[in-house]
Amino acid sequence: MTTAAPPQSRQRAETAAARAAGVWKVYGSGEAQVVALRDVDVELERGRFTAIMGPSGSGKSTLMHCLAGLDSVTRGQVSIGETAVTGLSDAGLTKLRRDKVGFIFQQFNLLPTLSAEENILLPLAIAGRRPDPAWYATVIDTVGLRDRLHHRPSQLSGGQQQRVACARALVARPEVIFADEPTGNLDSRSGAEVLAFLRRSVTEYGQTIIMVTHDANAASYADRVVFLADGAIVHELTSPSADAVLDTMKSLDRRDGR
Amino acid sequence: MIKASLRGLLQRKLRLSLAVFAIVLSVGFLSAILVLSATLNAQFSTLFSTINQNVAVRVEAGEPGPRAPRLTAAQVRDLAATDGVAAASPEVSAEGVVPYRAGDDTPVGTDQALGFGVDGRDDPLGLVALREGAWPAAADEVAVSAHTAEQARVKRGDRLKVYLPVLNEPRTFRVVGVVGIAGGRDSLAGETMVLFQEAFAQQTFYGETGVYAGVSFSAADGVSQELLRDRITAKLPSGFTARTAAEVNDEQAAAVSTQFDFFTYILVGFAVLAGVVGVFLIYNTFNIIVAQRTRELALLRALGAGWGQVAGSVLLEALVVSAVGATVGLSAGIGLGYWGEAALAEQLTMDPVPVVVAPSTVLLAYALGIVATMVAAFIPAIKASSVPPVAAMRDLSRPDRSLLGLSLTGAAFALPGAGLVLLGALADLGGAGFLVLLGGAVLLLLGSLLLAPLLARPVIRALGFVLGRGQAGRLGVRNALRNPRRTAVTAVALTVGVMMVGTAATVIESFKSSLTEALGTSAGVEVLIQAQLNAAPDGTQGFDPKALERVRAIPGVEEAAAWHFDAADVAVAGQPQFVFATDVAQAARMFSMKTVSGSLRSLGARELVLDENTAEALGLSAGEQTKVRLGPVERQYTVVAVYEPTPLVSGILVGPAAVADFNGPLAMQGLVSLDEGVDAAPVVAQVEQIMKDYPGVRVGDRQSYVEQSSAQLDGLLLGIQLLLVVSLVIAALGILNTLMLSVTERTRELGLVRAIGLSRGGVVAMVNVESILTAVFGVALGLALGVGLGAALTQALIRLKFATAITVPWTQLAAYLVVAVLAGVVAAILPARRAARLNVLDAIAYE
Ligand SMILES: Nc1ncnc2c1ncn2[C@@H]1O[C@H](COP(=O)(O)OP(=O)(O)OP(=O)(O)O)[C@@H](O)[C@H]1O
Ligand SMILES: [Mg+2]
Repeated sequence: MTTAAPPQSRQRAETAAARAAGVWKVYGSGEAQVVALRDVDVELERGRFTAIMGPSGSGKSTLMHCLAGLDSVTRGQVSIGETAVTGLSDAGLTKLRRDKVGFIFQQFNLLPTLSAEENILLPLAIAGRRPDPAWYATVIDTVGLRDRLHHRPSQLSGGQQQRVACARALVARPEVIFADEPTGNLDSRSGAEVLAFLRRSVTEYGQTIIMVTHDANAASYADRVVFLADGAIVHELTSPSADAVLDTMKSLDRRDGR
Repeated sequence: MIKASLRGLLQRKLRLSLAVFAIVLSVGFLSAILVLSATLNAQFSTLFSTINQNVAVRVEAGEPGPRAPRLTAAQVRDLAATDGVAAASPEVSAEGVVPYRAGDDTPVGTDQALGFGVDGRDDPLGLVALREGAWPAAADEVAVSAHTAEQARVKRGDRLKVYLPVLNEPRTFRVVGVVGIAGGRDSLAGETMVLFQEAFAQQTFYGETGVYAGVSFSAADGVSQELLRDRITAKLPSGFTARTAAEVNDEQAAAVSTQFDFFTYILVGFAVLAGVVGVFLIYNTFNIIVAQRTRELALLRALGAGWGQVAGSVLLEALVVSAVGATVGLSAGIGLGYWGEAALAEQLTMDPVPVVVAPSTVLLAYALGIVATMVAAFIPAIKASSVPPVAAMRDLSRPDRSLLGLSLTGAAFALPGAGLVLLGALADLGGAGFLVLLGGAVLLLLGSLLLAPLLARPVIRALGFVLGRGQAGRLGVRNALRNPRRTAVTAVALTVGVMMVGTAATVIESFKSSLTEALGTSAGVEVLIQAQLNAAPDGTQGFDPKALERVRAIPGVEEAAAWHFDAADVAVAGQPQFVFATDVAQAARMFSMKTVSGSLRSLGARELVLDENTAEALGLSAGEQTKVRLGPVERQYTVVAVYEPTPLVSGILVGPAAVADFNGPLAMQGLVSLDEGVDAAPVVAQVEQIMKDYPGVRVGDRQSYVEQSSAQLDGLLLGIQLLLVVSLVIAALGILNTLMLSVTERTRELGLVRAIGLSRGGVVAMVNVESILTAVFGVALGLALGVGLGAALTQALIRLKFATAITVPWTQLAAYLVVAVLAGVVAAILPARRAARLNVLDAIAYE
């Protein structure tokens, strides 16, 4: 551990970084009704790297969106740290995203009009905060982007773009980073780079990361893997190997009758 | 293919509705003009056919005016005896017979103040008929039309003061009768009408009894107007013409319609500007739609559609849009024409007539709408057709094309344009200078429009330092910068209108300040007497210079100078000109005139002085002789001196003796200087009292003179400002349009910035900043061009001594900028609201 670790993550290590309690999410009504989440209870610990896995359509993205306050829940409670997300106004949600949450999406993560550096510093600029120079330097070096800082996103490769997105999420030191298939659009080598980087930020700097993924290999970087099927949590593994994850996925597929 | 493009049309109806609106505006103005002028023609034709309803043939002097020949009673009798004449009504009439309102003793303000002489019998042609009382039978009796009675607040038995032209003084009469006009009207078109005893009217108007200006004849049954005209023509004394009532109707209706030309010009201006701005708006809309449909178009191409089909589908869309726009615009124009006619009829106290929609109106409306749209959609259509099939598989983001070619073309227009403008302003090219300057201005404008995308970057960046506060503001600046073409095309819709206003405002402000300065430095002209003219000045309107004797008697008055003006059929050295008559020695003193050659002294008969420019134009110099023709009188004059023109004094000046050759003895202007330290206000009041006997003569102090002199220019400025409002509305719609499309295009980015913590307010600020920057850029470009051109024009005027200094109307310019910012804010309301309401989740959801 280095001195540059985010302080709050160790101070309140005992409370969960994000929590869902009895969460239901139902889309539509009548015939067209889809139950995306059914009675999900999950607690995601601080300073850990959690992966959410499951077959396509199992509700992974929905769960992540609900946890991050991007989407409302039909029933149940969601909280981030000590803040209850359910029932927050738009202004409250904006403040929550500004201060406590970081995002990495599968693609279109960056503003095309800003350089890599400006993209990285954007959340801080929006919040009107100054970056901590030591931490900023650490992040830039960790993602290995020092010589690419003044490039526009269109001048960066897909993998570099995702690393910029990771740096952006990290530099504000949010309580939790949500990543939805951050490597979904990358080749295996670039993907591995991004995953290694996420892993390091958890191990070395105590960052909390929740990642949705399809890929067993990606999930193997996590401390804990939560499996979703048909909108419910069906299984979980701790510090799994890629093979163990694969096996579980296969059994889930069988369960689905596929 | 056609089906596909029509379906696409329906899906994009919101975006296209703005393009439709632009077409509606321009077609609306155009058809309003056409409908209004056709309707007004119908209106006046009805009016004059009322006047001439029983008339078959009218006899008048070939050249009317104070010197026109008159018909004697014997000649009238002889003409009336022509075979086929049923009745004859000889005419004794004058204009400028102004009744005074009882009570406050002020002249009834009206453009048309008619006086007639009547012979005490009922009008054989039935145009006027007694409603009550009797016809005037004595020199001090009058009858008035019902409208006049109402305006002057008199009834039968009251006294009525009436100003009499030719005599040039008011007299008081007894009202013995009130008459109505055919068709139960109180007046024909809001004119006043005073009827005098015939002999008195003849003596007063024509200087002798027993003479007439013309005769109207009705025809016996079975005799056509043409036949009667030909028979009468055969017996006419020389100098007279006979015309049928139909010919007279057409001529009079056309003459009156031209009075509304100013109105027509403004509406034409609206139509043209709305058309030009509309082309930009439509171009932008189609361009963005094509950009957004790149994938779809590429897919069509990949599926085998030819480029012609793709371009055709865009043009078809444009055709449908323009047809809809033209139809709505035409209906709006008809409505506007109807409203305008009703308003005018109301003002002129006439009965409204049904609107007239000529087939040519419909044709022109559709032609304008369709042609403008097709022109605007042409480049986007070509662009659409050049989308390669492979674009369907690639990412949407296409690299920005280089601005080099466009900018070079722009520079190729702008640089020679600027050169010509400078040449016109600075070089001594005489009258051609203005043409050179205006030609240069057109080139400069075209070039600047093409250069706008290149200029957008640095200008918006600079403006961004001021406006782009906070992260949201900075993002807004970036967005305004990211597609300079789009920003520029959106912004320049404002540029054209603002440039016109900027030019006019600069020239007018410079003119005003030059005038004020000149009045201030010349020996203190403090009080000005000025006749309001409603015809070319010829000495028949204004005041008797003898009245200035009473002005000179007012304590504190130093000098009072009378200026006569003749601009009716005047020629000097064979060229049409106008001349002023005044005491030149006095003028030289009061206006500190500077001599170029000769000497500025009081002029005798057949002597003149003239300014340098006029002297050059006429090829005259001091000591030479030249011919001066005032109406029918031509005499040889000597050029006594050539002087330097100033904004106050320029042109040809003759001595007071020459007034004898003018049509009338009245002075148009009186200039009064005061002793040191005398307050102008009480003097103005006393002079006003003296001038009360002359209707249409105004008295004011120096400032009111400056304002009056520039009143017409101010009217012009107001007209142009109205144009600006129209272009502002369309341009704001254009900005709204572009922002709407941009917001849709950037949905994902908006979701992203929301996801990483930008508040709704931040999103609103971001869109606002982009909108304001676009508007301010357009206005700034327009103002820069406008002030530049205004300064160049003023410089050219300075060379001709019409102005002395360039004055930039900063406060007005600042006001235009503020208006631009407001327009930007207003235009941003809808797009900003849409952007702020975006659901973060929808925005970031993958396809
Ligand atoms: N806006 C929506 N309206 C209706 N149904 C929805 C909506 N969003 C998601 N769903 C449904 O909810 C279920 C869960 O969707 P979700 O996107 O969470 O799945 P996922 O596990 O992320 O799948 P994938 O791995 O394919 O991304 C799916 O059946 C989906 O069809
Ligand atoms: Mg998903």
